[in-house]
Amino acid sequence: MNDLLLDISEVSKTFGRGGLLSRQKIAAVNQVSFQLAARRPEILAIIGESGSGKTTLARMILNIETPTSGKLVLDGIDLAAIRSSDARMAFMHKVQPIFQNPFESFNPLKRLDRYLFMTRRRFSRAAGEGAAETSVDDALQKVGLSLQEVRHRYPHELSGGQLQRVAIARALLAEPKLIVADEPVSMIDASLRISIVNLFKTLRDDLGISIIYVTHDLATAYYISDRIMIMQKGCVVESGDARTVLRAPQHPYTRQLREAVLLTEAADVAAGVSGMNDLTSPGAPERRA
Amino acid sequence: MRANVQQPHAPQDAQPILWVRDLQAHYRTSHFGVRRGVKAVDGVSFAVRRGEIYGLAGESSSGKTTLIKSIAGAIRPPLEIVGGSVEFAFLPGYGGLHRAPPVDVARIRWRHLSYIMQGSMNVLNPVRRVESAFVDFAYPHIGGSRKQFEQQVVAHLARVRLDPSVLAAFPHELSGGMRQRATLALATICRPDFIIADEPTTALDVVVQKEVLGMIRSIQRETGSSVLFVTHDMGVHAHITDRLAIMYAGRLVEEAATAEIFRNPLHPYTRHLISSLPRIGDDTPREGLGGSPPNLADPPPGCRFHPRCPLATEICKREVPAMLEADTGHRVACFAVNQGARA
Repeated sequence: MNDLLLDISEVSKTFGRGGLLSRQKIAAVNQVSFQLAARRPEILAIIGESGSGKTTLARMILNIETPTSGKLVLDGIDLAAIRSSDARMAFMHKVQPIFQNPFESFNPLKRLDRYLFMTRRRFSRAAGEGAAETSVDDALQKVGLSLQEVRHRYPHELSGGQLQRVAIARALLAEPKLIVADEPVSMIDASLRISIVNLFKTLRDDLGISIIYVTHDLATAYYISDRIMIMQKGCVVESGDARTVLRAPQHPYTRQLREAVLLTEAADVAAGVSGMNDLTSPGAPERRA
Repeated sequence: MRANVQQPHAPQDAQPILWVRDLQAHYRTSHFGVRRGVKAVDGVSFAVRRGEIYGLAGESSSGKTTLIKSIAGAIRPPLEIVGGSVEFAFLPGYGGLHRAPPVDVARIRWRHLSYIMQGSMNVLNPVRRVESAFVDFAYPHIGGSRKQFEQQVVAHLARVRLDPSVLAAFPHELSGGMRQRATLALATICRPDFIIADEPTTALDVVVQKEVLGMIRSIQRETGSSVLFVTHDMGVHAHITDRLAIMYAGRLVEEAATAEIFRNPLHPYTRHLISSLPRIGDDTPREGLGGSPPNLADPPPGCRFHPRCPLATEICKREVPAMLEADTGHRVACFAVNQGARA
């Protein structure tokens, strides 16, 4: 139907700060435009430091924040035109969020499985209690959990990493076309992080879900994303194919980010020999100097 | 009392400053007669030498925070030290801060043992100026006139490249990086022997993180302090620590010089951890590890990694592997590895 899954044109968001007399305007997002194609699902990484506007941009795509100017169109739906609750449901069916802090995404007083079954009830076509349990369990299995572990549990009973996996499972239940993930793995256990990152790849390849991956971690962005967008102070300073941008960054800010990556490239080359015991020590010469 | 540290950065044969021996710290709860015990730290032994940065890596719920709490003496129910001891060279004879009399603890806190925490907001009082934090924490230990003290603080702030004007600021007026640098200055102003750094840079941007790590390094070299550096970020460990211990489900599984861990990881868990790190310029697919970290309320018997381990054999399900030296200074708790090394 539509060629573009997401069409963002010249979107800006300004926040006002201060009182009546000394009012300051802060441009959190400044004239950002980009598109995601509908036919070819992809992972787009938005990278930037805190305060660069990447989260504000993500929140605008999720229709949590209204842009000051510009237009966002998701799969034919103009976000500014969403008024009725039906339109909202249709919109939420297409895009689902994963937030950074899972402790904030779940109400601490409510059981976790309630969220999963509620989402399932709202979005899935197939009915039936048994089918609901199976699909909730399926979604949880995809993120390395099971319904058995989550049933009747409260958020405080799980670790941050486990909670985040529940959040991802919940997003999957809506069968969305686009997932907006704001720093989704920064709180996930190291031994499971790569599984989650690989899961994003599987979602893209097998389920055809596009993912907007907001992060400050260049290494995982390089690993999973097809395209990359570097933001600084609300503006996109560099964008393009992830490999091209990160191998040969053009903008000074991208280079600065690139240099701040702690596992250095010299070590990476040696580590490229993927055998488990062939890993060289990154940073060793610097430390023992 | 305070040993003069001659070599701030020669950790190879330096004397230990902290001994942790077979430490067991459990959370014990009892609700309506139902007893529940979580063995968050279960038989951990290691020593931190003078002048070294000792890294502790582990994922969430691996017990690293409980371990720090036990070391720092922050034991509150339901946490209990069930066995083992923690001994600092500057506080001998008690077997842990939690057993030492409060007078002694007050004396060594901040003077000999200080902390850098993850959330700088938790250290700095949000309704008081940064200056008052320095006065509260450090003035009783440093003494002298207020003017001298102030000069010392300003000089120390310069080391972390902070302007003296931050003293008059409230914490919320500073950026996250500045706050964390102020916390770093606060933790190091008394030139403590031992600093516990709990995820000190996790909340920071990558660019700022590298800068703060550099500062921790340079101050540590200057003062000769030992640092117990806890983070789950292997990149940070590779960058800053001298030796590294890997914790899994409440136990140490491997310990060696950081370079050695990255070059030659022996424990299957460590090997997975290192090989799964994504790196820029490397397009090889990374394999995820099956299963999930065990629930410490009901950990698997034997080696706690065995349900996820590709090398697991019968013995791993029955017996707990001991931390044995596989190579000089390289300890690992794995039957498969130790068997090979000893054969």
